[in-house]
Amino acid sequence: MAEYYAQLIVNGVVAGSVYALFAVGLTLVYGVFRFINFAHGELIAWGAYLTLLFSGVLPFGLAVVPALFLTVLIGIGQDRYVYRSLRRRGRITLLIASIGLSYLLRNTLRLIWGSDLASFGFEARRGISFFGIIVTRTQLTMAAAALIFLAFLYGLLKFTMMGKRLRAVADNMELAEIMGIDMKKVGMTVWTLSALFAGVGGILIGIDTNLEPMMGLTNLLKAFAAVLLGGAGNVWGALLGGLFIGIAENLGVAFFSPGYKDAVSFALIILLLLFRPTGLFGLARGVR
Amino acid sequence: MRTRLFCVIWILSLFFTAGAKAENEIVVGSVTPLSGKLAVYGEGFQQAMLLALEEVNAGGGINGKPMKILYEDNNSTAKDSVSAIQKLITVHKIPVIFGPAASSNFLAVCPIAQENKTILIGAESAAAEITKCGDYVFRVFPSDELQGKGAAELAASLGYKAVVLTYINNDWGVGLGKVFKENFLKAGGKILDEFSHDEGKTDYRSEILRIRKNAPKAAVNLTYIKEGATMLKQAYETGLKIQWIMGSASKSPKLVELAGEAAEGIIGTYPTFSQDTPQYKHFRQAWEKKYPDKKIPIFGEYNYDMVHLTAKALKAAKSMSSDDIRSALFTVSQGYMGVTGDKSFDANGDVGAVYGKWTVKAGKIEDYNP
Amino acid sequence: MDYFFHILVVALVYTVFALSLNMELGYTGLYNFGHVAFFGIGAYASALFSLLGFPVFFSMMAGMITAGAAGALLAVPALRLSGDYFGIATLAFAEVVRLFFLNERWLTKGPMGLPGIPRPLGIPSGVSGLSVYLFLCVLVAAAVFLFTRRIARSPFGRALKVVREDEYVAQALGKNVLSLKVRIVAVGSLFAGLAGALYGHYITYISPSDFTLNETIIVLLCVVLGGRGTDWGPVLGAFLVLFFQEFIRFLPIPVDFGRVVAPLQGMVYGGVLILLMLRRPEGIVPEHRS
Repeated sequence: MAEYYAQLIVNGVVAGSVYALFAVGLTLVYGVFRFINFAHGELIAWGAYLTLLFSGVLPFGLAVVPALFLTVLIGIGQDRYVYRSLRRRGRITLLIASIGLSYLLRNTLRLIWGSDLASFGFEARRGISFFGIIVTRTQLTMAAAALIFLAFLYGLLKFTMMGKRLRAVADNMELAEIMGIDMKKVGMTVWTLSALFAGVGGILIGIDTNLEPMMGLTNLLKAFAAVLLGGAGNVWGALLGGLFIGIAENLGVAFFSPGYKDAVSFALIILLLLFRPTGLFGLARGVR
Repeated sequence: MRTRLFCVIWILSLFFTAGAKAENEIVVGSVTPLSGKLAVYGEGFQQAMLLALEEVNAGGGINGKPMKILYEDNNSTAKDSVSAIQKLITVHKIPVIFGPAASSNFLAVCPIAQENKTILIGAESAAAEITKCGDYVFRVFPSDELQGKGAAELAASLGYKAVVLTYINNDWGVGLGKVFKENFLKAGGKILDEFSHDEGKTDYRSEILRIRKNAPKAAVNLTYIKEGATMLKQAYETGLKIQWIMGSASKSPKLVELAGEAAEGIIGTYPTFSQDTPQYKHFRQAWEKKYPDKKIPIFGEYNYDMVHLTAKALKAAKSMSSDDIRSALFTVSQGYMGVTGDKSFDANGDVGAVYGKWTVKAGKIEDYNP
Repeated sequence: MDYFFHILVVALVYTVFALSLNMELGYTGLYNFGHVAFFGIGAYASALFSLLGFPVFFSMMAGMITAGAAGALLAVPALRLSGDYFGIATLAFAEVVRLFFLNERWLTKGPMGLPGIPRPLGIPSGVSGLSVYLFLCVLVAAAVFLFTRRIARSPFGRALKVVREDEYVAQALGKNVLSLKVRIVAVGSLFAGLAGALYGHYITYISPSDFTLNETIIVLLCVVLGGRGTDWGPVLGAFLVLFFQEFIRFLPIPVDFGRVVAPLQGMVYGGVLILLMLRRPEGIVPEHRS
């Protein structure tokens, strides 16, 4: 029995590390721009599907490169063509526009690739056994990739000039601007990073399971939950939040029907918002 | 007879959709999954129906009038099946409609057909519940009432006294699961755990873990192709080694293609029909002539039979009213030997069947003869 | 002709739905992105009651009340949240509700849905019943329209608009903001439930896949396109969107391309939302600033 729960936790940690990628991207955007980008989910889906497209002509490892590049372009495009003009117009306008944008992107994807499940087509391979717990090669890849990207982010934020600028802007946008920080560059960096992370995560999920057009939206809501858990705007909180969601989801299935697995993150969102809007790791960014 | 036909044609010509300029045609409707998750099957159904249609029209059509099938796409969902059938009934006023594929979609529309006295015929829907749909509802595909028995017998004959049961969360899966359970328990078997799994998910690992929890020697998994393939693959990756017993909806080369290595050794049941009959040979020849590089699709034979049987009934019917067509259907079906066997309708509009066993060996689907 | 009536019925159902959302979004500035949950609750509750044998009008009332109660229950805790967070919470709520419909097979028959929902007064579900049902929908839509107009012009309605513009000012003026918000969400959910019941008894079949984010986006589009916070806006929006949707079905698209219709529709809706926000966020019918 202990094996069963241990397996669930291992699955949870791996899934959670990918959610962490998504959550970090989402929270970066929120920290700097102060709004939740509904269309963030579609970057996840597009990253995966574009890789599918390119893997038709390139070996998989290489196909990832143009796919991620294009995903980043989409992410930057979101800002340039839609959000930038709306930043002064008020919350509701931005929100509706981002919902509209996510719908547009999602349906464009459906138009091109259909509504069906798709797959990268990797052969099934037996996993590796550690003390009665099975870990598949894919799971190892996922955890490793997530680790690498998050370490990269850590390095960026802590040790580079750009990282410092990001943190300054997240802390206080007006002051940062007054101090001469180039908002445009910071903005570009944020969108690039968030799109990159989303795309990578999407590819990982695609390798692990399958691709389907709603994959962006489902994972977006989980990313939300993680962001809220860690406190909106708090990058490391988002990371921990992602892990927490992954573990909670997988453990939860031991107690209730697998059909409600996704509901775990939704229920968490509601509960958090109602009772602890500043997140478990309580940070300044509160919510009335 | 002529005047009636002219009236029908005049009414048909009143609607304003493009492409529906009916001259002297007999039109039947078909709610078909041309898009959505069942589209891959829907294409096959259409091809089989077309083959039969051409043969009907080459043989003089319906008493001289060509027969035509008006397809409405249901996007593989129940909701769109409902709007499709409502469109066919209210706009085109068609008396005979070939129903949608999935049992849930079929069950969603049969009350509508029944209330409007429109004849609904199914060629792929297996749920036992359909038997109770009403006297305007028929199907050329056997009810799962019989398959559940067959699957339970299979499990018992393989020597499994205790299994885990999982089924896809829709009318087909739930219905078949219920029948299997009844029969298996009656034969003295034990169900270690039972749960449903949702359609269309990308990740079934929680379900696989739950199966594993009970450490069974065999699992009865009643599911569709994509879901089955994903489950098999993920089970394989997580090292689950058991005997899978599956149903007719999983019997497809596509499943084997998607699941690869993980599909080896599955055993399942399916409604069989002999491939040695003259009807089958004729069908095969005709298919290969018309579609030389396409495999015969799953349920293709049933669709073919459905069109031919309907044409026969339409020819014999006293008029194009649904009541007359209905009694004609009953009459012409008695003893009608189609490609898929005896298509005599019983009082409920159901047909009988013989159930055989299939397995996957070396990447191919074969009959299972231990 | 019959098909035209069919489109009218669906348009009227969405008119009621859009009017109900308009009360929350348009008058009060509440971003309720989970409004479809109440549409669904109303539809399921009404269907279940009527399948148990209760007369249809009674079931519709029951559906409405269940939805309204659910709305009030959600509102009390959720309305303490600020704007976009309320939006996310309601979105999550709608998904939880949908999963409930999907998983609680003993109650809702899960993904199989509820077929054979009866029509009121024994109206048959075929062609002959159509014009009667249409008449019913016109009555209901007109009643809801007049009711919402009344609210808009009442002191209650004016207070709501103050809340929308600036909550703090409203509070300073002595209004109990939370109570106002809860009341309007309850009313909005009530009418959304009514729209859901109308829908269920018309189509005669409902399933969890009828109540997804898709439907939220469509009704949002109706309100936003037509004109938020106005009386006629949601009506106009609902008719425009629904007619567009059904019109697409009649275009002679070759069978091979049938599958592109739905995504194309979706792209248009998304694109229109974006363009609206960029160019004309107030929608077609502008609000009177009197």
